[in-house]
Formats: sequence, C-alpha cells, structure tokens
Amino acid sequence: MRFSSLLRRGRADEELDKELRFHLDQQTEENLAAGMPLSEARFAAMRRLGGVPQIQEECRDMRRMNYAHDLVQDLRYAARTFVKERGFAALVALTLGLGIGANSAIFSVIDGVLLKKLPYRQPDRIVRVFFSSHTYPKFPLNPFDFRDFRTRSRSFQALAAFTRSDVQLSGSGEPVRLSAFRVTAGYFEVLGVTPALGREFDHNDEVPGNGNLVILSDRTWRTEFGAAPDIIGRKITLDSQPVTVVGVMPTGTEHPGNSYHALPYGNSVDAWRPFTFDGNPSDRGSHFLEVIGRLKPGLTWGQAQAELNTLLREIAREHGGYDGWHMLVVELYREIVGPNERLLLVLLGAVGLVLMIACANVANLLMARATARQREIAVRSALGARQSRLVRQMLTESLLIALVGGALGLVFAAGGVKALVSLLPADFPRVDSIHVNATVLGFTLLVALAAGFAFGLVPALEAARAYPQQGLREGARGSTDTGLHLRLRSVLVVAEVSLASILLAGAGLMLRSFVNVLRMDPGFRPEHVLTADLTLPSTEYKTPAAARAFEDSLITNLASVPAVKHAGMGTDLPWTGYDENAGGFTIQGKNPPPGEDFHGRYHAATPDYFRALGIPLEQGRFFTKADNQGAPQVMIINSTMARLYWPHRDALGARITFSDTPKEKDWMTVVGIVGDVKDTPASRGAEPAFWWPALQVPFVMNNGVMSVAIRSDSDASQLANVLRREVHRLDPALAVYDIRLLDQITDANLASARFAFFLVGLFAALAVGLAAVGTYGVIAYSVGRRNHEFGLRMALGASRWDVVRLVFGRGVTLAAIGVALGLLAGLGLARVLRSLIYDVSPADPLTFGSVALLVFSVAALACYLPARRATEADPMTALRAE
Amino acid sequence: MSKPSDLIQGTLDLLILKTLSLEPKHGWAIAKRIEQVSNEALQITQGALYPALHRLEHQGWIRARWRTTETGREAKFYELTRAGRVQLEKELAEWERLSNAVGLVIRMV
Repeated sequence: MRFSSLLRRGRADEELDKELRFHLDQQTEENLAAGMPLSEARFAAMRRLGGVPQIQEECRDMRRMNYAHDLVQDLRYAARTFVKERGFAALVALTLGLGIGANSAIFSVIDGVLLKKLPYRQPDRIVRVFFSSHTYPKFPLNPFDFRDFRTRSRSFQALAAFTRSDVQLSGSGEPVRLSAFRVTAGYFEVLGVTPALGREFDHNDEVPGNGNLVILSDRTWRTEFGAAPDIIGRKITLDSQPVTVVGVMPTGTEHPGNSYHALPYGNSVDAWRPFTFDGNPSDRGSHFLEVIGRLKPGLTWGQAQAELNTLLREIAREHGGYDGWHMLVVELYREIVGPNERLLLVLLGAVGLVLMIACANVANLLMARATARQREIAVRSALGARQSRLVRQMLTESLLIALVGGALGLVFAAGGVKALVSLLPADFPRVDSIHVNATVLGFTLLVALAAGFAFGLVPALEAARAYPQQGLREGARGSTDTGLHLRLRSVLVVAEVSLASILLAGAGLMLRSFVNVLRMDPGFRPEHVLTADLTLPSTEYKTPAAARAFEDSLITNLASVPAVKHAGMGTDLPWTGYDENAGGFTIQGKNPPPGEDFHGRYHAATPDYFRALGIPLEQGRFFTKADNQGAPQVMIINSTMARLYWPHRDALGARITFSDTPKEKDWMTVVGIVGDVKDTPASRGAEPAFWWPALQVPFVMNNGVMSVAIRSDSDASQLANVLRREVHRLDPALAVYDIRLLDQITDANLASARFAFFLVGLFAALAVGLAAVGTYGVIAYSVGRRNHEFGLRMALGASRWDVVRLVFGRGVTLAAIGVALGLLAGLGLARVLRSLIYDVSPADPLTFGSVALLVFSVAALACYLPARRATEADPMTALRAE
Repeated sequence: MSKPSDLIQGTLDLLILKTLSLEPKHGWAIAKRIEQVSNEALQITQGALYPALHRLEHQGWIRARWRTTETGREAKFYELTRAGRVQLEKELAEWERLSNAVGLVIRMV
C-alpha cells in the first residue's frame, strides 16, 4: 500500500495541486463576489491560502510515505551535488576509502584467522593436552603415561597422541622427504575427519611390529601416486622399508599444529604412520608425544584438566616422580591462534584509529562545506523544508559518500589483503582461509554506514540549526563562525591530533622493539652460511657408529671443497624450534636445589659446527676429531649453563654424568664454553644447553635428523649443489631437504616483528598525515573566514607578528592539547603491546618524547602556512569593505 | 510550522469529522462551513486544513472522491467512513468530558 503510493507519487502531487487550485479559485470567486477587483481578489486568495510549498510538503509528510521517496530524492540530490563538487567528493571518498579499506583488509585477516571456525567437526570440543611444570609450561607426554590417561580418563570421547616423524619416500627418481607424524588410533576421530579412502589406524596397529602402515595426504596421493584409485593395500617404500597404504585423507585435512619439532598449522602434513608402543611400559622418562582430545559433550576443558590431574597423581604414585608437574588442557583454537590474537587485535585497533581520524577529517570538510552551503540551506528552509528533513537530507549525503568510500575501500582491501598475506610470517596460522568474502563485505558495509553517521551527524545538525533569515541575510558576505561551530571544529582537531599521537606512540614502541631485535647479537653469524637437513634412516644406519662414520666422511669431503670455509653438523640449527631437554643428570660435587633437578637442552656437534655457525668460544676449546668413541667423554656447555650451575667458579673441567652409579668412564668433562643462542630472537634468555661431540653420542638423537651448516667466504647458496653431490656420493638414497641460508632462518624469525612494525608504522604515518591535513584545513579555513578581521586589525595597527601569533597560537594550543591527551591515552594503551614488544618499556620516555615532538612539529607546520597567509590580508581592502 | 495555534490540539480533526458527518464536502466548503457556523470565530488556515485532511484520509477516517460541483467544476470531496463515524463519536465524548472538566475548574476557582 505504501509502496504503491510511492509509485503513484506523481499523481498524488498532481491531485493536491488541483485541489489547492480549486480552493484558490473558490476563494477568488468569493472575493470577487464581495466586490474586490480581479487582480486583488486573486492575490488576497493566495495570501489567505498560505505557502503552497509548505502545504504540499506537510501533506506529503502527513501521508507518511515520504521516507522512501525522500530517500530516492535525497540520493538523487546528493549524487547531483557530488557530481557538481567532484573534487570535494573525490577527496572525501578517497580519505574514507583508505580508512575503510585498511579496516576491511585487517578484518579479512581476523575473519580468516580468528573468527572462522576451525575446519574440524565441532571444533570447540577439541583440546590439546600438555604435561606442565614451572620451567616447561607445555611439555610433551610419555607414551605409556598417555596410554594410562587414555584408558582411565572418562572426559574424552577420543584421546590421541601424535609426534613428528618425517619419512623418506623412495621409489622413482630422487628420494622425497615427507613431513609425517606418528599418530595413535583415533587421531582422526578426535579431529572429526574421516579418510577419503581406506581407514584410520586402530588399536591393533599400535602393537609393536604392526606399524608398517601409512595413511597418505590427498596431496601426496596425487603428486606421488597419480591419484591411483587402487592405492589402498599397495606397498610403498618409506625409509627403505616396505609399508602398506591403508588410507588417504581428504583435502582440507588440516594439521592442528604442534610444538615439538613443530610443523605449522595447516595443510602441512604429507603422511601419517601408526604410533607403536615399543619399549618398557615402566620406563616413564622419555617425553615426546603431543596429545589432542575430543571432549565428551557438555564437558569443559577445566573439568577434563581436573580429571587428568587426579589421574596424574595416580600414575605418579605407581611409577614415582613428577613432583612439580601437572596436566594442562588448552582449547585447540587458543593453541592455534593464541600468540597471534593480540597482534591482530592491536592492528584492528590501529586501523580503527586511522578510520576515526579519517572520519574527523571528513566531518571537518563537511562542516566547512555546510558553512559554504548556509545560503542554500537557508533558502530551502525558508521554502518550507523542515529541520528534520534537512538533517535527513544531509545525512543521506554523508551515507552516500560513505558507501562510495566503502566501495573504494573494498577495492583497496582486496589489494591490501594480498599484500598483507605476503607480509605475514611464514608460520602464521590459517593464512589459506584469509579472503575478502561475504563476512568482510558485511563488515565493510557496516563500517561505511557507521562512518557515514559518525562524520555526518554533527555537521548535519549544525547546519540545520542555522536560521533562515540569518543565512539569507549573510549570504552575501562571509560571516564569522558562530562560537559553537568553531568549538566543534576545534574539538575535532584535538581529537585527530590525539588519535594520531596514540598511533604514533604505538608505532614508535614497535620501531624501537624492531630495532632492538635487529641490533641484538643473535649469538651466531648468519652471513654466508648454507644449511640443510639429513635424516639417516635407522634401517640403513643400524648403529650410532655407522651414522657417525657417514657424518665424518661427509664433513671431511665438504671441508676439502675450496669454497667451503667451515663445514659442521649438529642436531639442530639456531632459531629453528629445537627443544630436546635432558634432566636429572648429576654434577660432580653438587646437589640440585630442593624440588628441582639439573637440566639442560642437549645437542650433538661435530668439531667445526660452532665455527660454521659463528658461535663464539668463550673459554676452553671446541671439539676435535680426537674426541671420539675411545677417548675420555667431553662436553661443551653454553654460557647460561655455566652461570647457572657454576656461578662462583670456573666451569671448565667440571664433570657431569647421566649414570646413577657412575664409573670413571661415565663422567663427561666440560672442555669448552660457548656463547648463548636464544630459542627465538624475542626469548627472554637462553636455555642452559650442552653438546656432545658427534663422535661420542651414546644414542640416536633427534630421530636421526642431523643439520649441516657450511660457511663460505662469499655466496653460500652456490654450495647447495656441492652439498647434494657430496651426500649422494656417499648415499644416493638420502634426501637432502630444508636447504636454506642461515640468513633466511634469521629473517623468518624477524618476520613477526617486522610485520607488526611495518603495519603499525604504516597506519601511524597515515594517521599523522590525515591529522596534519585536518589541522591545516581547520586553521586555513578559519584564517580564510577571518581575513577581513585580520586586515582590519592590521589597519588599526597590529603588526604582522601579532597576526601570526594570533593564528599560530590558536593552532598550536589545539595541537598541544591533542598531543598531551594522546600521549596520556597512549601510556594507558601501550600496556596491551607489552607482549608484542621486545626490550622496550611500554612507557619508554624516548619514544613518547619523540612522538610528542614529531606530532607537535607537524601540527605546527600545518598551522604555519595559514598563519603566513593571514599576514597577507590587505588592510586597504578590509577598510574599503567597511 | 503552521499549526492552528488558536485551536486546541486535535480539535481541528473533530471539527472536520463533525462537518463531514452531514454530507460529503470539498476542502474549501469544509473551511467555509466551520467559519460560518462559528460566526467567523474559528478561522481555518489552509496550511492546517489540507495536511489534516490528508492525515485523516491516511488514518482511514475519511475518504476522498473527485466529483463535479454544482458549478460544474472538478473538486475533491471528502466523506466520513464507518471508522470515521466511530472516531467522531469517540472524539465528541472526549470533547464533552474535557470541556465539562475545564468548565468545572473555571467555575470553582
């Protein structure tokens, strides 16, 4: 009914016209009958009738179908206005587009990483289970402990364990390294993913000897086996062993992420093999299983954690130990996004501030324009437009331009998301699910509308308050700003400057943190070093001695290559997440502090390993070839371990043993102390660590994975082929994988800090630019309006300096208030950055001081230009105009 | 805007409804009739009359029809609907109550 009336709008108006004309005619006739002359009769009738446009307008309002119609009309009017004022409209749309685009881009990342559900069935019921102590908050579990938990716990629908165990696939061509996990029965049940072909592992597969099975990822099945439909039951060669394929997982079987020999979340696993419970069930010392579980419906992670802790006490009673340890249950979602959530929210906050500044700028522009349009508004209101109607019309304009800005923003966001994704650190979770999608579209629309209201409402109300008479009268010459108007615009300037200061303070902290990370001594020299990994399959290299022999030959051969300066091998490389810990060793002549044990991160290294990586020797000596199987056992420790366990004396010559009843040959003597290398650049300190000589390592370490480091004089990337050639000369079936420059490893570790700094810095630069433009706009505008006044002042004897002081003083006062407020708020807000910045106090005086100076200078510059213009006011022109 | 400030809010509606209760009339005739009957005491400004007519029409109390007047001109005639008659009764009762109350107060105080 309303709709049809809207369509028949033209007719309704026509009818009203006709009706009013009839009225006029009747009145005229009556006047004629009363004896008035014709011309006067008509005029009197019209006077009697009152303003026809007002009546028409009111009748329309009475019909209450006006809103939709008004909207169409207002939109048309707004569109016409913007076409007429192309420059203004483009400026506003661009400002908003940038602001909204930045928000949409960051929101796309947040939507993909934080908001989208994990691609598992009922993902909120999946939890990670850790063994936890004060020193190791998230520690893996012992296999038999895990089995006890699985049998006894009532909290889980399924509880499974997994551990990284890469395999080498051979068959055709060069062997391929597959990222693989050993998983227990029910692993995929926990995730809620069923195999596309075949089956998942069952309890029978966990029995030692039954484990020669594999489940392939969809990608491996396609790339390595041509998506053969008859793959189930086929025997393939993994680590030189025949293994039967029992399943193929569907695409989108995302790895939930893990921390021990970490593989990032996502489509990163190539194969899964059954975990078999080898060894002695009463041996609970070795911890390497990561645990994941699906809670029973209605149970919380807290309840599960309480139950597991009760069970842990039981297990501890049965097997002893575990003082100071407890169980930790963490929601999978938390575990995956946890460290990145704060970064993303900080970024969203930063772009939110940018948008607010953009809105303040646009509001400023609109208010300046509203003053210029005062005459138009006055005329419209004199012609019968009601105040609410004017506000509505001006708001429509704001919303229209905001939507145009939003559309532009979407275009910017689409580009921005691509740039963001390429900037994201390599191990950032869920990067694949970051897209500009319907949710982002909705968000953009909402933000655009909210922005439209935010910057449109105040100017609209302001403009509509203008009195028609005043507007009509003053239309001819520029009026001075009304007090309220000026105050509002001043508030906007203060707000812009303070928001920009907050952002710049954040960016400053990030910058200092980033510089600190860059300037920090990593503890090794990353230039000109090529690294790679090798895994010696235990099937081929049955004894540690066989493996050592291979390593020794490889290192010797590599060292004889002319371009090679030093070649070494070790269990790991710096900053790659290595986390093998040994506890409970004995230090000769010492007792561990009560309730604790001696512990340290253990590694193995060949003689030139430290030289190849550039880790400095602080005391003693490096290993030599003489530190072999027959020689007395020696070890190298790091500086932290020396300080921690031998705080008051020289650690050189001190002795350690892992044996409970040591004979003389079981003692290892500290022969060298090397510099510290932290786990990651942002770690607070290094862990205590020690190295065995590779030739004396008593067991197969790190699943047989050894890292090679080759230092060259120049471009180390040239050495990749040399390394491959030398490895294959010794063992053609060995895959050389993860070939990287040490530079690349350090670079990847800085990616997170660089990402945060770059984005916050970018947003801060945008904010300062916008705030400068805004301040300039307001001051320049008020100078323009007061030009006449300045002319008069100068005519009456004020010097140029007085005028500059007048203009400059006002702008600088506003800027100072803005900076002060911004820095105060910044001090409060910087606390949320604490976990994101490195070695900088959130209240860093240098940062805050520089920000104050910088923002203030920019604002002062923005005021200076209009102030200079003010002195150019011509006293003569002003006087003549009076 | 141009509200009938000399008429109590809502009274104009009552007057229009009452005037239309006898026979359908066009806008000019309604205004004329009210002025005549009130001995020119009530002057209906057109700025108030037509919006009021449109409002009443929209509320469904009156309906409009184009008809030819005695002088042979096309005019928009308004007439009461059934709902309009009910509304008129209600407004009359309300008016009685209000004017009695006002009368009482004026006499008492």
